[in-house]
Amino acid sequence: MDAKKMLLGLFLVGVLSIAVVASGCIGGQQTSTPTTVTQKETVTETKPVEQITLKVIGPWYGAELDAFMEVIKAFEAQHPNIKVEYKTYRAEDLSTILPLQFESGDTPADVIAMWGWFIAEMGQKGHLMEFNGVINPDEYVPGILDTVTVDGKIYGVPFTAAAKPGFWYRKSFFEKYGLKPPETWDEFVALLEKIKQIPGVKAPIVSGDSVGWPLSDVTEHFILTFGGKDLQLKLINGEVKWEDPQVRSIFEQRLVPLLKAGYFSDPIEWTSAVDLWWKGDYALYFMGTWITGMVDDPTDLGLISLPGVKAMVLAPDYFMVPKYTSHPKEAMELAKFLATEGQRIHVGTKSGKLATWKKVSIDDYWEPMKDVAKVVANVESAPDLDDSVGGEWQKVFWDQLKLLWVQPDRLDDVLSTLDAKFPKK
Amino acid sequence: MRRPRSLTPLFFLLPALALMVPFVIYPVFKTIYLSFFLDGKFVGLENYKNVLLSSDIINLDRFPTKSPPWGALIHNIVWIAIHLPATVFLGLGIALLLRREEVKGSSIVKSIIFLGMVIPMIVGGLIIRFLFEEGAGVIPAIFRVLGIERLAITWTAYPETALFAAILGSIWIWTGFSMLMYSAGLASIPKDYYEAALIDGANRFQIFKNVTWPLLKPITVVVVAMTLLWDLKIFDVVYVATGGGPGGASMVLALQMWDYFARALNYNYAAVVAVLLTALTLIPALWLIRRRE
Repeated sequence: MDAKKMLLGLFLVGVLSIAVVASGCIGGQQTSTPTTVTQKETVTETKPVEQITLKVIGPWYGAELDAFMEVIKAFEAQHPNIKVEYKTYRAEDLSTILPLQFESGDTPADVIAMWGWFIAEMGQKGHLMEFNGVINPDEYVPGILDTVTVDGKIYGVPFTAAAKPGFWYRKSFFEKYGLKPPETWDEFVALLEKIKQIPGVKAPIVSGDSVGWPLSDVTEHFILTFGGKDLQLKLINGEVKWEDPQVRSIFEQRLVPLLKAGYFSDPIEWTSAVDLWWKGDYALYFMGTWITGMVDDPTDLGLISLPGVKAMVLAPDYFMVPKYTSHPKEAMELAKFLATEGQRIHVGTKSGKLATWKKVSIDDYWEPMKDVAKVVANVESAPDLDDSVGGEWQKVFWDQLKLLWVQPDRLDDVLSTLDAKFPKK
Repeated sequence: MRRPRSLTPLFFLLPALALMVPFVIYPVFKTIYLSFFLDGKFVGLENYKNVLLSSDIINLDRFPTKSPPWGALIHNIVWIAIHLPATVFLGLGIALLLRREEVKGSSIVKSIIFLGMVIPMIVGGLIIRFLFEEGAGVIPAIFRVLGIERLAITWTAYPETALFAAILGSIWIWTGFSMLMYSAGLASIPKDYYEAALIDGANRFQIFKNVTWPLLKPITVVVVAMTLLWDLKIFDVVYVATGGGPGGASMVLALQMWDYFARALNYNYAAVVAVLLTALTLIPALWLIRRRE
């Protein structure tokens, strides 16, 4: 009898649950119905524009987000019917979420900033909208679309880019110790030795660390200076091995001797490293242009590129529009804006970024970035090596460089691992 | 006459099953299924062979004569070999030291030690990273004061020390659990036993050996099994403190699985490591369940 009562009770609970869920659904319809009616009524009279909310995901927060939101505000001002909601997600986290969501025909946002190689991979799998005919490739820095283009199909649009132009120093520090930017390799080495002798300086160059990318930026600067853009591209495409004599010599003759001489510090968490460098524990810091927005006085910043540098890495942020967006037209509109006029607005903020859209002029830049933009404009731009290869190898590259930094004698191990782990075509 | 079997109990399983089938059982079987495929083709045990023979998992070229990387599986074993006895005996020792009511401030000390368990593991990993960083951390500073310059370095940056930094840091995090369990176990032992032992003329060591330790055996079983499970599935602490580096010197199985999944986008290899990890964790889990039964 008790069991029967219990079963009856459970049955009632079940029925009630279904009723609640159903009423929720019906309720949803009911609430939407008057809106529809109102819209229909209004359509016949005043033709109001439908209000749309676009979701955007990007990696920015803090000051970087403030700069990005300036762009979003400008877009919203131009498109009163579109509201943009922004969410911060790290690319590392997105890389685990997006493939699963896409496979199930869903997307967490309408416009998403992500690694170029990831966009190409998702595009190939048929998850993304194409931008052919939406943007004009000729209006962009040469090669910038290569990472997101597969078989002639453009799956992502470039936003502004960070350049990795060289070693930053404080002008006041150099003035205090009578130091001058070098013009030859020998002068560069002599400068490092001179800095090393300054009391209180722990090492001439502070090495930033996080997952390892700051070290890859330094390494790429050496490759671009002594091997040129062509070598960088060949390494990206797997046409040249890491154990190739040309690549090996750059490490053996340029980078490793500096590491062995103690000119680089051990890897230090990269944001902590900014503070230590700024207060004078170290004299030089290799970092991207975003550092201009991270220091107290950007006018005190000076820049030393390796003498004879032939090209610099220009690492853009890319946006993609998943096919599963509810608002494809508006999402594409926003992506196009970010890839064009949005860049003009972004470089005018304290973002520390450079435009990849050639229609942006030097006058559009934030004052401290104007000189940097001129420096970068005078050399070839090259794609970021590890960002272009991506995948598991990218992490291996970062990790192996962390090893090289503390044990430069293990160069052979490092180079052979980089070759062994390079993605097979 | 035999009573007909009622189906009613099965009915009560339905709510749990409704959740477990899509969220636990199906993913488990799908993961096992995936581990036998590559690029959509059935490859039998090929994935297992490739993963297990990879130097990412077992690197016998370097183990044990050279410094890490020794492979993720060996790193997990080293982790267990150091972390398990250290946390068990440290937790027991602290619980024994602080069990007496006359120890002033014992609850405060216990709370401080337990803090490692309360904070999120990600934060724990960050603290470990800074604890072992030259210039910021207390550990290199201590070695500098002791004049041991070889260890007055950023531990997480060097292949010789990165794994051990993560292990030592995780001892700090996990000892609170062991201490708490043993404290509860010690509180449950009747005082009469100790009084009887004292009357019989037993010394402190004999009392510990013949009274305390045997009565704490059920607690030890739980602590050992839980610690083993924790050691095998360790991820977040390593992810934040060292990222598995440098050069894979502190890579562990769970992080390797994540790398296959999220970096290499190789879901089949990730599934292989997941299956291996599950099989390994089942051993202590089943042992624990049997002991408790």
